[in-house]
Amino acid sequence: MCAIMAQTTVESYAIQSSNLITTVRFSQQAPVILERGLTSERSLIFSLIANQEEPERYGIIEQLFFSCLQTGDDRSALLCLERLTCRFGSSNEKVMGLRGLYEEAIAGDQSDLEECLRKYDLSLSEHPLDLPILKRRIALLRSMSRPVDAITNLVELLKAVPTDAEAWCELADLYQSQGMSSQAIFSLEEALLIVPNAWNIHARLGEALYIFARTAEDEGFPQYLRKSIQHFCRSVELCDDYLRGFYGLALATSLQLEQEGPMNALRGLASDFLYKEKIEGLNILARRKLEDIVKQRSANCQLWEHAQGDLIAAKELVDRISESH
Amino acid sequence: MALQGVEQTILRDPALFYWILFPITIVMILTGILRHYATVLMNTPPKPATTLAESRERLSLLRGVNLRNNAPAVLSQDAFEMRKNYLVSSYHSGAFLKDPASRGQPPGNPMTDPAGMEAMMGMMKGNMMMMIPQTLIMSWINAFFSGFVILKLPFPLTIRFKSMLQSGVMTRDLDVRWVSSLSWYFLNLFGLQSVFGFILGSDNAANHMSQQMATMNPTAGMNPFQPGQDPDKLYQSEAENLEVMEHFCILDGIEDRILHNIASKEGLV
Repeated sequence: MCAIMAQTTVESYAIQSSNLITTVRFSQQAPVILERGLTSERSLIFSLIANQEEPERYGIIEQLFFSCLQTGDDRSALLCLERLTCRFGSSNEKVMGLRGLYEEAIAGDQSDLEECLRKYDLSLSEHPLDLPILKRRIALLRSMSRPVDAITNLVELLKAVPTDAEAWCELADLYQSQGMSSQAIFSLEEALLIVPNAWNIHARLGEALYIFARTAEDEGFPQYLRKSIQHFCRSVELCDDYLRGFYGLALATSLQLEQEGPMNALRGLASDFLYKEKIEGLNILARRKLEDIVKQRSANCQLWEHAQGDLIAAKELVDRISESH
Repeated sequence: MALQGVEQTILRDPALFYWILFPITIVMILTGILRHYATVLMNTPPKPATTLAESRERLSLLRGVNLRNNAPAVLSQDAFEMRKNYLVSSYHSGAFLKDPASRGQPPGNPMTDPAGMEAMMGMMKGNMMMMIPQTLIMSWINAFFSGFVILKLPFPLTIRFKSMLQSGVMTRDLDVRWVSSLSWYFLNLFGLQSVFGFILGSDNAANHMSQQMATMNPTAGMNPFQPGQDPDKLYQSEAENLEVMEHFCILDGIEDRILHNIASKEGLV
């Protein structure tokens, strides 16, 4: 189980809502959904009338599978997996990937994980371009804390499939975890070239640039911070009320304002002065928006229950910035 | 010449109606359905790439296209120049090709290349599936029903429609409103699409399911090359496209845009 929890899995669009409350709620519906599937399969007449099997149903079962694994309901997960295997056959690429995920999840110790890895290698020697298995293998390497191997393998994968935004994002995450910020920035830019309107990736890129700017204090600093602010701007331009984007914008602009003071006093260029004014405007805007969003979302906490952590963080940031001013 | 204002009357056996109009319509619908299922049955999905190098050869072209389309939304000047130089030089040197050794040689004959052959067979099957039933039905109608005038439209039409509605009936004076059996066949041929849509669901409803689980990443299985096309040629032209590209970035001046759009909307600042 810990193998799943520790990593952001590659096929993570189902798990992306990484908060546990919603996941638990989903997985609690497992008996209901699985039961419904069974009854419609049992009654022959009904299945003749509704002969077109709905594609959505298998999508739901797949998502349910992820939720069950996350919450430790391995029995329901196995049921879901069997349902999918029944429909699509055990040699289907994606089903094989899911089965691998299940085996990883129920693996008890390191040797079981090694066993999974061997299985993946075996099936890859037959089908070298089995994307789900390739990705599972990389995720497994990562969760076995062998990030360098994972990065090498992922780079190999991306050479073959350079149009996979998901893989680029995963690579960026891996690089970031190894402290290689400039590589992470490059990977995120590649991902954005494939999906140019993904505001969350814009915000991620802004964050990566911000981190890089903080670590590379001296020469590249102003340039990267400026880029970071631009990407945060783009993310809030694409998505109204995007909390993460405004959070980053507030953070980056206040850092810029802190650093700006002494540097510009020396040069005193008119353009720099204008730019500073803009940054101040953005800073005020971001802070006000953050306050608004926090107020609004705290008011109807039912709806935003899953995002309480974000709200607390945003509130804390607003307080901290207004203290320092 | 037909007299103006005087309704032409033709004495028709009502049996014509039941023994020609309905049979043609029913046969057309049934063959349409049959053809649909035959196509589904014989349809072979395009073969996905089997090796890493093959997939690389296919998708690297899309990478250049993506860069060309999306660079203004993402990249700054130097990041763009770096990628452009990398892609252009790789395209020129053929680094993405499946086997760089065979570069520059004339493309293999599509007749001998098994992959190309398969794709051509697929195309052929599709065409045959359209042609054969049409030929059969048309000759059936020509043999049995040619020259019959089977119905009269309840509204007047201009003379232009004569060739459309009265093919097979060579009379100059017949009112345009009369429809011949062969024309009825043509009308059915082109007009039954929506009926098929109603009966069979939208076009690819039948073979949709098997493909759903097959592709995790829809672009991964895509093949930008037509059979028999030389990837190297496409790479060269893509390299040219990239070379002439001029950089601009929508991130320039985004601060002003945000301040102007969002801030003024919210009544802030």
